[in-house]
Amino acid sequence: MKKLLALVLSLAMLLTASSFALAEELPTITIMFHGSNVTDDSAVLEAVNAYIADKVGAKLEVVWGTWGDFDDKATNALLSGDTGIDMVFTCSWSADEYNTYAKNGYFVKLDDLIAEYGADLVAAIPESLMQAATIEGAEGMGIYAVNGFKDTATQNTWDVNVTLLNELGYSLDDFKAMSFYDFGELFAKAKELKGDAFYPFLVEPMVLERMVTGSIIVAGDSGSTNLLSLYLNQDDVSAEGPEGNVILNKFATEEYRKFVDKMHEYYEAGYVDPSLAVAETSNDTRTNTQKTGEYLIGTQSYAFGYEYSADVLDRGIEVAFVPCTDPYVDTTASQGAMVAISTASEHPVESFKFLNLLNSDPVLMTLLNYGVEGVHYTLNADGLVEFTDERASYQPWTNGMGNVTLLPDTAAEGAGFRESFKEYYASAKAIPALGYVFDNAEVANEMAALGTVAAQYALALDAGALDPETTLPDFLAALDAAGMQTYLDAANAQLTAYLG
Amino acid sequence: MSKSRQTPATLNSFGPGAQALFHIVLGLFALLCIVPFIFVIIISFTSEDSIRQIGYSFMPLSWSTQAYKYVFQLGDALWRSYFNSFLITTVGTVLSVAICILYAYPLYRKDFKYRNFFNFLSFFTMIFGGGLVPTFVVCKTLLGLSDNYAALIVPLLFSPFNVIVMRTFFQTTVPRELIEASTIDGAGEYRTLIQIVLPVVKPGIATIALLNALAFWNEWFLSLLYITKNMDVIPLQYLLMRMQRNADFLAKNSAMLGADAAAAARNLPSQSLKMALVVFIVVPIACAYPFFQRYVVAGLTVGSVKG
Repeated sequence: MKKLLALVLSLAMLLTASSFALAEELPTITIMFHGSNVTDDSAVLEAVNAYIADKVGAKLEVVWGTWGDFDDKATNALLSGDTGIDMVFTCSWSADEYNTYAKNGYFVKLDDLIAEYGADLVAAIPESLMQAATIEGAEGMGIYAVNGFKDTATQNTWDVNVTLLNELGYSLDDFKAMSFYDFGELFAKAKELKGDAFYPFLVEPMVLERMVTGSIIVAGDSGSTNLLSLYLNQDDVSAEGPEGNVILNKFATEEYRKFVDKMHEYYEAGYVDPSLAVAETSNDTRTNTQKTGEYLIGTQSYAFGYEYSADVLDRGIEVAFVPCTDPYVDTTASQGAMVAISTASEHPVESFKFLNLLNSDPVLMTLLNYGVEGVHYTLNADGLVEFTDERASYQPWTNGMGNVTLLPDTAAEGAGFRESFKEYYASAKAIPALGYVFDNAEVANEMAALGTVAAQYALALDAGALDPETTLPDFLAALDAAGMQTYLDAANAQLTAYLG
Repeated sequence: MSKSRQTPATLNSFGPGAQALFHIVLGLFALLCIVPFIFVIIISFTSEDSIRQIGYSFMPLSWSTQAYKYVFQLGDALWRSYFNSFLITTVGTVLSVAICILYAYPLYRKDFKYRNFFNFLSFFTMIFGGGLVPTFVVCKTLLGLSDNYAALIVPLLFSPFNVIVMRTFFQTTVPRELIEASTIDGAGEYRTLIQIVLPVVKPGIATIALLNALAFWNEWFLSLLYITKNMDVIPLQYLLMRMQRNADFLAKNSAMLGADAAAAARNLPSQSLKMALVVFIVVPIACAYPFFQRYVVAGLTVGSVKG
């Protein structure tokens, strides 16, 4: 019996013997990023640790969260009070949503740390981003995460295949003069030229809806299928919209009816790929078709410089992005990528010093983002970054890291890119309700029910696959039955209070 | 004619019409089971162009071995995780079967004083779980199950369901007289269990071994929870699941992420690559079935009335 027990115990010990390193002099701080594609970070971390040893007084470890696993990993770490994670990515759309988690006490309030150690940070990022991060958290009004300086404004654009447009006998200027409701003749001609299996209108249905009706995402609304909307003043984004500062049920407006009617017409005429109307295939179809350039007009939520990315350059066609409105700053975009310090962290000061350095020091930012010079990238004669094959094993998500304006220009972007980038976003205007976040806690049940209803109808309606004549009334009735009015009233009451 | 009807071989048989019907129904059912696998294999050999143009099809426009070439280029990451899958499944199955038997056997023994208590103890966890976060805290903080193989094995070692199956198996196949006889012959408890009882319950062991092997082979959620830094220990299932979840996430959030999502989608594997990985995952476990089958079938029939 004892022998057997000993055997089992020793086996268990063998199994659990984890890789405890010997005690080090410097404390280790760990950061968890989102959306990375990193298989080998050894060279980078070695260089980073040599660089930050004096400046931060800690050793860095990184948990490279991917798009698919970040939400689970981050919420588990935070909810369980895991001391192994000091800093974690947060934003308005991830599972560890900034406002909620700050309110529930998972993030350290940074105001004192900023005052003591954060002079560089304050100098490096615009005041407006500090404003956007200032919210009512567990310890009162304050900043609970370092807001990344990235594409902080939203701008939806038409993604135009100029090569094909010219073939059809139109110029880009002709296109710019058209609206969504005039695209029919373009599509008909494209269909005639390219044959029946060609679908000229390659859309992200939900984005298209926002572009045509001028609706804006309300932060705090139901996740992937938004129900609420504020309306944008399409001529001057900083002015009040046509409906005033009122949140509406976006599916009940006249604009929406007009949009889906037209979209259904396009769909019936065979201008829209049917697989765009199915949630499981919609995005795959869109990105795959985009790659081949087999479309005429698409939709693209745009970030400055996107036309220089390999994603667009590889399509083999001339692409133009024609904006629907000026870029606008809303709550969702201005809290689009942040890094917070977990209240479970045993090294909040070192963590903050690190974040301060990461957001203000070009050397560290470049190292962590682009890798080691001579290994992951080289500088060409003009001093521009050219990536090597090693880059394949080290591709973090640039925008998820912090102040991307510190990065050097790449050869694909061209010299002066980051400067223009900064100007572009510095000039973006804020919508009147900037900073408003709907706290949905009191109507969580309604939101869940409404989300299920919307998931059933919204995408297919937006893509034009359903006939609005028959399905839209059903949809609206189902929303009403699920408590749409209660949900709307709660959102509007909060908005009125917020705008004072 | 009437004489041949009396022979034992035909005594229990159906008429030819019914026979044919059964064959057709079962044949169709068997076909339904196998078709998805064939489809997966076909897709894994389909060229991306064909998928883009006509979608998944049994008769693609063109064939390609591109997906497999890419899989082999994954190199270390792939073979490492493949090896991990085998290691985790083997070690996990052996340990969990041992634990299951050692727990179920005393529960079967009427002379074990605390059997009701231990019965309840295991049954209770079937009905009430601790929830995700408390489980995570216990495993990670208390037991140190993080970034190591143990994290992928230990949480699955004990299954109350299997214990109940095994206990029932003991009860129905091992007559208590057998234990008495071996005790009278002078066998100790260990000898009784290992030399007398275990050979009788082989089919039961095979059944739970198969269940456990499947559970370990298909497990990916534990890797998601407990493996954060040390990607050297992840199994193949997780490698595939990560690709799938990345694609799902980008599909759901592309409107929020805009250009970032489009850029990230470039790193996603093609449809045929996913199917090629599925082939890699399915083939070994499908090969394991025939070995267990004999016992599983025996296990199904054993316990019924015997002459």
